[in-house]
Amino acid sequence: MKRHIVLVMATRIMVPFILIFSLYVLAHGEISPGGGFQGGVIFAAGWILYSMVFGKEEFYRRISRNMLLAFTAIGVMIYTLVGYVSMFNGGTYLEYAKLPGLDMKTGNSIGLLLIEIGVFITVFSVMLLLFFEVGKKDG
Amino acid sequence: MSIVLKISMVIILLASFFSLYRLIKGPTFFDRVLTVNLIGTKVVVLLVLIDFLYDRPEFVDISLAYALINFVGTIAILKLKEKGRLD
Repeated sequence: MKRHIVLVMATRIMVPFILIFSLYVLAHGEISPGGGFQGGVIFAAGWILYSMVFGKEEFYRRISRNMLLAFTAIGVMIYTLVGYVSMFNGGTYLEYAKLPGLDMKTGNSIGLLLIEIGVFITVFSVMLLLFFEVGKKDG
Repeated sequence: MSIVLKISMVIILLASFFSLYRLIKGPTFFDRVLTVNLIGTKVVVLLVLIDFLYDRPEFVDISLAYALINFVGTIAILKLKEKGRLD
């Protein structure tokens, strides 16, 4: 679809804003609608738009498929690591206030942001993998 | 001020019901795609009006996300129609 000049230019303008907006949704998940899952889906939608217009190969030049597969696990790992670190510091699982070097208030914010980042990474890589695997020519 | 917002919300709802006619009757595929896009745009305006009516600024975020998903979905449907595959 590289010959559609309107589509290509619109995509070039839209994609950076979609990615920035997804990070905004991720960071404001505590106080407004949004969070890790929604931000990840919007992030994946931006890359899906990019790879629909410029082709799958152009996307895989940036993040390889094995990298995406690794990201699905890295996000879950971040989530569980935050949970276990607070557990081994004397709290319960995912008790953010017990994270090392943080007090009650900042610990809650930073712990929540960390697990949201984990959810974000897993969701966007799973969404992209689903899109590419379902869209394959030979199934 | 709020009565103006309510009236305009009703008018937008009526307009999207009128555009449903083109969705059902529409002679070609592209009329239907255009209708879906049009109703999506009306939903974006409706969400912004709800934001002003209830004074809850989070609705602007939702309407932005809706506009992005609307754009991506339209392009996906059109590409599927043209190429028969998505990637």
